[in-house]
Amino acid sequence: MGTMLSLQKVTKIYPGAGHIKAVNELSFDLEEGEICTVVGPSGCGKTTAMKMINRLISITSGKIIIDGKDISRLNTIELRRSIGYVIQNIGLFPNMTIGENIAIIPKLLKWDKAKIDEKVQRLLEIVNLDPDEFRDRYPKELSGGQQQRIGVARAMAGDPPIMLMDEPFGAIDPINRDHLQNEFLKVQEKVKKTIIFVTHDINEAIKMGNKICLLKDGHLVQFASPEEILTHPKNDFVADFVGGDRTLKRLNLFTIKRAMKDNPPTIHQDETIETAQNMFAKINSRYLIAVDGEGVLTGIIDKQGITDKVTHVKDVVSPTEAWLIAHASLKDGLSEIFTHDYGFLVVVDDTKKVLGWLHTEDIKETLKG
Amino acid sequence: MTLRIWFQLVKKLVPLFLTILFISWLYNYYGAWDYTIKNIPEFFRLIVEHFTLVIISMVCAVLVGVTLGTMMTRKSMENASSTIMTVVNVWQSIPSLAVLALAYGFLPLIGLSGIGMTPALIALFLHAVAPIVRNTYSGIDAVSKDVIEAATGMGMTKRQILFQIELPNALPVIAGGVRTATAIIVGTAPLAFLIGGGGLGFWIFTGIDLVDTGIMIAGAVPVALIAMLFDFCLARSEKFFISRGVQTIEVETV
Ligand SMILES: Nc1ncnc2c1ncn2[C@@H]1O[C@H](COP(=O)(O)OP(=O)(O)OP(=O)(O)O)[C@@H](O)[C@H]1O
Ligand SMILES: [Mg+2]
Repeated sequence: MGTMLSLQKVTKIYPGAGHIKAVNELSFDLEEGEICTVVGPSGCGKTTAMKMINRLISITSGKIIIDGKDISRLNTIELRRSIGYVIQNIGLFPNMTIGENIAIIPKLLKWDKAKIDEKVQRLLEIVNLDPDEFRDRYPKELSGGQQQRIGVARAMAGDPPIMLMDEPFGAIDPINRDHLQNEFLKVQEKVKKTIIFVTHDINEAIKMGNKICLLKDGHLVQFASPEEILTHPKNDFVADFVGGDRTLKRLNLFTIKRAMKDNPPTIHQDETIETAQNMFAKINSRYLIAVDGEGVLTGIIDKQGITDKVTHVKDVVSPTEAWLIAHASLKDGLSEIFTHDYGFLVVVDDTKKVLGWLHTEDIKETLKG
Repeated sequence: MTLRIWFQLVKKLVPLFLTILFISWLYNYYGAWDYTIKNIPEFFRLIVEHFTLVIISMVCAVLVGVTLGTMMTRKSMENASSTIMTVVNVWQSIPSLAVLALAYGFLPLIGLSGIGMTPALIALFLHAVAPIVRNTYSGIDAVSKDVIEAATGMGMTKRQILFQIELPNALPVIAGGVRTATAIIVGTAPLAFLIGGGGLGFWIFTGIDLVDTGIMIAGAVPVALIAMLFDFCLARSEKFFISRGVQTIEVETV
C-alpha cells in the first residue's frame, strides 16, 4: 500500500481577502485505505483544504498528488468523478428521486442499467434505508438525517478510490450517528477507500480517523494517529482541543480484548462445592465464573454465599449481567465494571463463551502502554 | 375514500357545468349560434388566425424567453443581466393595448408594415417574453448553491448541470412565467384585430361597432373557451413535465 494522497505545502489565499492564508503550507501524506479526519475550530480552513483536492477551489501555491499524479495536470471532470464528494449541506438534487440521485455518477460513467440498479440497492442497504421504500421517494420527503445518508451513498456510488466528506454526519442525532459511524467503519473495512473526513467533533475525529489532521488558523498543528494525539499532544492548543479528559478518550481506542486477562477462574456448573472451595483456596479471588459444558457463561459464584448445606456449584450460581463482548470498547468495559459490584467484568465472545476477565488494573496497564 | 373522490369530482365538475350552461344560454339567447352557423367558413378562418397568433407568439416567447433567461444566469453575463432585467420589467408594465399601438407606430420606422399579422405577432411576442425571461432567470438563480456545488464536485459538466439540475429545478418557476405569458397573449390576441392582425377580435369589435350583441358574443365566447383550453393544457403539461420532487402542489389524480 503506497501513498495515495499527498499534500505538499498547499496554500490558499482567497482573492480580496488581504493576505490571510486560509490554508497555510499544509503538507501530509495518506496511505491507501486510510481515513484522515480533519478537525479544528470553525474557520480554520478545513473545508478550504478539502475543496482544493477536487479543485472546487484553486490552489494558490503548493502541490496535491493523487496516486502519483499532480492533480493540476489532470482533467478536472475526470478527477472529480474519481473522487466521492459529500458536501457540508448535503445538496441532494430535489428534482430527482433518491434512486436517481445515487445513480447520477454511475450514469455519467455510462455503467449498464442492471449494474446501476444493483449498486443503488446495495448502497441503500448499507446506509440502512429500505430500498423498496426509499428508492422512488424525493429528497423533500426525507428527514435531514436520511438525506445526509443518501448524500454519503451518492458519493460512494461511482466506486471512487478517494472520498471527501465534509461533516457528513452533522445533521444526525447522536444515536443514529453512532450507528452510522459504526456502519461506515464496517463498510470501510471492506472497501478500503482513502478518505478525508472533516468534522468539528473531536470525538468523531478520534473514532473515525486512522490519522487526525488538526488545523488552526490555516496551518497544521499536529498530524498523527488518534493514539499519538491523545498521549502526546504537541502543544497546549492540541491538549486543550482534545480536552482534559483525553486519557478517558483513549479508552475508546482500545477493545476489551486488548486489555483483558486470559485464563479467568472458571468452573463447570455441575462440579461439587469441594472443587470450588479448592479453587478459592488456590486463587486470591472472592468470585468464580460458572460455565456450562460449552464454556458458555452461566453466572458467578460468591465465596461468601456458600453455606454448609450447599453441595453443588449449581446451587450457588447467581446469574449475572457483568459481562461484555470482547470487541466492545474499553470505555464501555470500564463503565460496566463500575456498574456491578464484583470489581471485574467477564469477557465473552459472540456466543457468550468466556474468553477472559477484565479488572480496572488491566485498563490502567493498557493505558500506560 | 371513494365517497371523497366523488365529492372532489362533483366539486370540480359542478362549477364547470354551470359555466358551460351559462355560456350556452348566453350564446343562444343573443342569436350568436345562428350567426356562427351562417358564417361558418369565416368562423373557421378566424379561429385559425386566432390560434396562429396565440401559438406562434407563445412558442417564440418560450424559446427566446427561456434561452435569454438562462444566458443571463451564466457567469459571463453577470453584468448584462441586471440591465436586461430592468428593461424586461419596464416592458411588462406597459398595457397590452399600448404595446400594440407602439408596434403599429414603431415598425414602419424600421421599414416594416405596421398593419397585419406580423406586427400583431411581434407585439404579442414582445409582451409575453418578459415574464418568461424574468422567471427563468430568477428560477435558475434560486436553485440552491449547495445543489450546484454538489453537482460540480461530483464531476458534472456545466452543460449537464444546466440540463439535468438547473432547468428541471427551475421549471415550476418558469412554468409560472409561461402561465402569465399565456394569460397576456390570450387576453391581448383579440386586440390584434385593431392593427389588422385578424382573429376572433374581428367579430367582437364588429359587434361593438354595429351594436349587435349576437356578433359580439359569437366572437367573445370562443375567445373565452380558448383561454380555458390553454389554461387546462398548461396545468396538465406542468404536472407531466415538472418532477414531483419540485412540484409545490400535490398531484391530483382526478
Ligand atoms: N470564498 C471565500 N472568500 C474569502 N474568504 C473565504 C472564502 N471561503 C472561506 N473563506 C475564509 O477562509 C477561512 C477558512 O474557511 P473554511 O470554510 O475552510 O473553514 P472551515 O474550517 O471549514 O469552517 P467550518 O467549521 O465553520 O465549516 C475562513 O476564515 C473563511 O472566512
Ligand atoms: Mg466547513
